[in-house]
Parts: sequence; C-alpha cells; structure tokens
Amino acid sequence: MLTIALSKGRLAEQTLDLMEKAGYDVSAAREKSRKLILEDGKSGLRFILAKPADVPTYVELGAADIGVVGKDTLLEEGRQLYEVIDLGFGKCRMCVAGPAALKDKLDDIPNKRVGTKYPNITRNYFEGVKKESVEIIKLNGSVELAPLTGLAEVIVDIVESGRTLYENGLEVLETVADISARVVVNRVSMKMKEDEIKPMISKLRQALSEGEANT
Amino acid sequence: MGNKFYTPDGFTDLIPGLCACKRGLENKLRALYSLHGYDEIETPGVEYCDLYTASGFVPEEELYKFTDSAGRLLCTRYDGTVPAVRFIAGRNETFPVRISYIENMFRAGKTGGGKQSGFTQGGIELMGAKGAGSDAEVLAIAIKSALELGLTDLQISIGQVEFFAGLKRQMNLTDEQAQDIREAINRRDSVTIDKQSLSREDRDILLAMTEMSGTYDVLDYFLPKVTDEGAKGALTELKEILDILEKYGFLKYITIDLGLIGSEEYYTGMIFKGFTYEVGFPIISGGRYDDVSKAFGKDISSVGFSISLTLALTALIRQDKLVTSPAASVIVGGDYEAASAAVEALRAEGTAAILDTTGLSEDELNSYAQAKGIETVMYLNGGED
Repeated sequence: MLTIALSKGRLAEQTLDLMEKAGYDVSAAREKSRKLILEDGKSGLRFILAKPADVPTYVELGAADIGVVGKDTLLEEGRQLYEVIDLGFGKCRMCVAGPAALKDKLDDIPNKRVGTKYPNITRNYFEGVKKESVEIIKLNGSVELAPLTGLAEVIVDIVESGRTLYENGLEVLETVADISARVVVNRVSMKMKEDEIKPMISKLRQALSEGEANT
Repeated sequence: MGNKFYTPDGFTDLIPGLCACKRGLENKLRALYSLHGYDEIETPGVEYCDLYTASGFVPEEELYKFTDSAGRLLCTRYDGTVPAVRFIAGRNETFPVRISYIENMFRAGKTGGGKQSGFTQGGIELMGAKGAGSDAEVLAIAIKSALELGLTDLQISIGQVEFFAGLKRQMNLTDEQAQDIREAINRRDSVTIDKQSLSREDRDILLAMTEMSGTYDVLDYFLPKVTDEGAKGALTELKEILDILEKYGFLKYITIDLGLIGSEEYYTGMIFKGFTYEVGFPIISGGRYDDVSKAFGKDISSVGFSISLTLALTALIRQDKLVTSPAASVIVGGDYEAASAAVEALRAEGTAAILDTTGLSEDELNSYAQAKGIETVMYLNGGED
C-alpha cells in the first residue's frame, strides 16, 4: 500500500490525470466527497488531500510515502526529501517585485524591507545569494499591497503571468527561482517500498514524456 | 511558570512499562557489543561547545548551550562519536581500540515523526583500524544490533564518499558545480543534474547514482565507467565489504546506494544508513571518519555506527512487536503478616510481587490490580491460611 499526499486544488487534479495516463486506477481519488483520505484497495493506493504547505511535512515524517507539491513549498519548508520528478505543470517563477522605478536599482537601497509569504526563501535569497541583510515582513496574502502602501520596498512572491503585478503598477525586478510541481518521496519509503515506488516513478516519467511528445 | 506539568519541546518522559522495554533493549545491545569485545565508556554529557563547533562537525544552532562558572561556553552531548574521539585522542592507547556507548543525545532542531530532540543512541567505534575488514565488522554489528532488537524488516544502504570525490576529478567539476550536484544527488534530484552542462556519459553516471540500487550489479555497472583511481578504489573496497558480509549471510539486508554521499567534512570512506518500516527516518547511521581525530591533532583511522533506541522503540511499537507489562505480576493483600510472608516467598522464587501496605479490602485490592494491569491477586485472611 502506497500513501500519496496531494496538494488540494488544481495540482491534485493534474496529478491524477497524469497517474491515470500512467495506467493507475485513481477513481477512488476522483470521488466527489468531503473525505480527506481516499483509499482504493484494488490498486493499492491511498490518497490524502492536504494543504500544499503541509505535503512536505507528511512525506518527510513518513505519514505519506509520496507527495506532489510545488517547488515553492519545497524551498520554503526545507524538508529532507527525495525530489525525483519535475512534473512541469504549475509552472511559474519566484520573483522579487516592486515599483518599476526600482528596476536595476535594487542594490542601492540599504536594509530593504521585503514583504512575503515565503520568509525562508526570502532570507536564503538575500542572505545566501545576494549577501545582504533585509528586514522580512511575513504576510499571508495580497502581498502586492506591501509596496503600494509603503509597508515594504519590495516583495518576494510567485509570478505566473505577471498580470496582478502589472495592474498594480509593479514589475518583476529579479528572478529567485523557477517553480513547478515536483514528485517527492520519503527517504525510508524509497528503500522499504522500492518495489512499488521505482516502477511508479518510471511510469510517471514515461507518461510525462509521451505527453510532451503530443503537444 | 504555568507549564510545570509539561516537558520542554522535543523531550518526553518514558512511561512505566515502556521504560522497562527500553532498558531491555539497552541491555541486549550492551551484551552484543561486549560479546564483540567493545568496552563501554560513559562521557559526561556536557562538553565544551568548541568540541563540536571548532571543526564544523555540528552547526552551532543545533547545540543546547550554557556556560560554566568561569563563563566558558558548554553544550550538551550531541553524538557519541566526537566525545569518544576526544577521549581516545587524549590517551596513550594501543590500537586498534574498540569502544561502545549507550547514551542520551541532545539535538536542537526539527522534531516529529518519532524524532525527538532528546533521544538515546547505542553505538560502537572501532578506532585505529583501516581496511574493508574493519568496515565490514562495524556493518555486521550494526545489522546484528537491529536484529537483536527485533527489527527484522531491515534495509541497510551502503555508499562511499570517495566515489563522488573521484568523479569530481574525473569530470573536471568546479567546486561550485560539485556542490550543486552533491546536494542534488542527496535529494535524488535528477532535474538539477539534467540541467548541468555535462557530457552525455557524465550525466548518465550521475543520474545512475541517484537511481541505482542493488549489490554486486551496481558495482559492476559503474566500474567500467570510472577512470579515476580514487573512484575505482572506492568501488573495489565496497566489493570487498560485500564479500565479507555475504559470509555472515547478511547480503539480503544490504543495498549499495552510491547516491548516499553524506556530509563531506565528517565521513571519509564507506558510509551507511539503516531503515525499517513505520518510522520516517533512518534508525542506523554510520561510516568511516578518518579525519575527525585530526581536530585533536591525532591521526586515528576510525569507523563506527549508532542506532537510535528511541526510533527503534517507536518502530517496534508501530510494528506490533512490543508488549508492555507492569513490573509485578502478583499483588498480595489482606492480613499484613500473612501477606508479607507470602510476598517474600514469591520473591524468593523470582516472581515479581507487590505487598499491599495500605490495608485495602478485597474489593479495593481487586479493582486496584485491574487498574494497574496486575494479573494475579492474593487476598489472605489472618490465621485461617
């Protein structure tokens, strides 16, 4: 029996589509209900629907063997996991954004205030990559408000099309990382359930490359 | 202080019954280590902080720190190995030295899933001993330890840090590139490796490191592909280790996993991790650490391992392999004189028994025994017996 932690929402749907293409029976997980654990005795799969930020936790601690989650969450949570497949969907960028006037002038502002939902990614980027100290302001949503209200000079956030930024007079200033959905595996499960997990990884990879060939 | 009933985050009490089980496990390990000629030592549990931080063995934030009366920075014991090397390096020893320990370790940081900040490890160190024979002895005792504790669903993965060091030379990787690839291999992250600018052959070797596991077949796959002498040597040494473990009949527990490359500063050769069901973390960890003694100005080639008794206990409980019971199986009450004579007679036979010292009635005694899980109740009437 393999337990798979899915990130609730569109990512879960896309993952199930891919698993179906790879030849897995995922009908149990498609049932419209309020159940959080969906089990299929026949296929030997058990799905749990978790909040995206919790998926790495379930997998690292071994409550789930496999998880599907965005690279942004993985970077933020910094858990010890095996990260085996880039699923390619859910593509976006983690960016530093702010008023267009700051373009190429970011380094001139000392002790920047940075608004973000991702304090760890922000700290690693500014301290680790850019070698500078910043004041991080943790926010829980509508991060674009921070530079508009003067709460912070810039923000670090996910950018998909850039439309929200554009409509609020903000621009991408720097790219921190490219983001997409990843398959993660618990380190112990990879060893103890190798016979189930390794074939699943290769079937998913196969289905992915077939998908790419068709588009 | 509003929290006087609670233990600090990351620490727990060991409840009656479970504590006895753990002591039982400790005694099994103690007997096993001693049977193989390893002498037990006890280190104080408090060390100078420098012991761990000066050579970068442990990140500062993972140590519990305080000061002594002279204001020097102290910390609690983080692992068994570094204090053991400190101890042996400071003595005039005839090598090889075989020592063992069963101690509590303290690690500040992330906890959960059976992982605690305070936990018990048992381990051995074989010091002043090189070669595949020494590596294999430590591996064999690690496997025996798990089996002795009842963890029969066991997987041991063995790697060799010299293999990647050799590949770095063979592929002419820059330090920065090697660091990225090392981290990627540690995460089994084929995506990052795919993106590196490498020749097709080199990329295939690195990708195979993240994926392949087996025994001799893995070594045979890589051997014709490496030209660096160090990397070749690593593979030949692993082969020798497998040959010895096969004689023990332990090959079935073992997989070679060259993606296991660990942290560069600490391990210098063979490295291994042990896994079982129902716990999300490795329960066994070990390897060759020839350079740790250099931090003490000595050169002592060493190899060792530790097993987490705390995780082992969790695994045994979740695998339904552990039954807890109270110390006493009998309680004797009623007439005090008759009862105390009876209870001593039971104890003389080796039966663990409790004497009721509070004068409970027969009904009270029965319900007390039930609440405590004591199997047998004896209620004696004075004079009639």
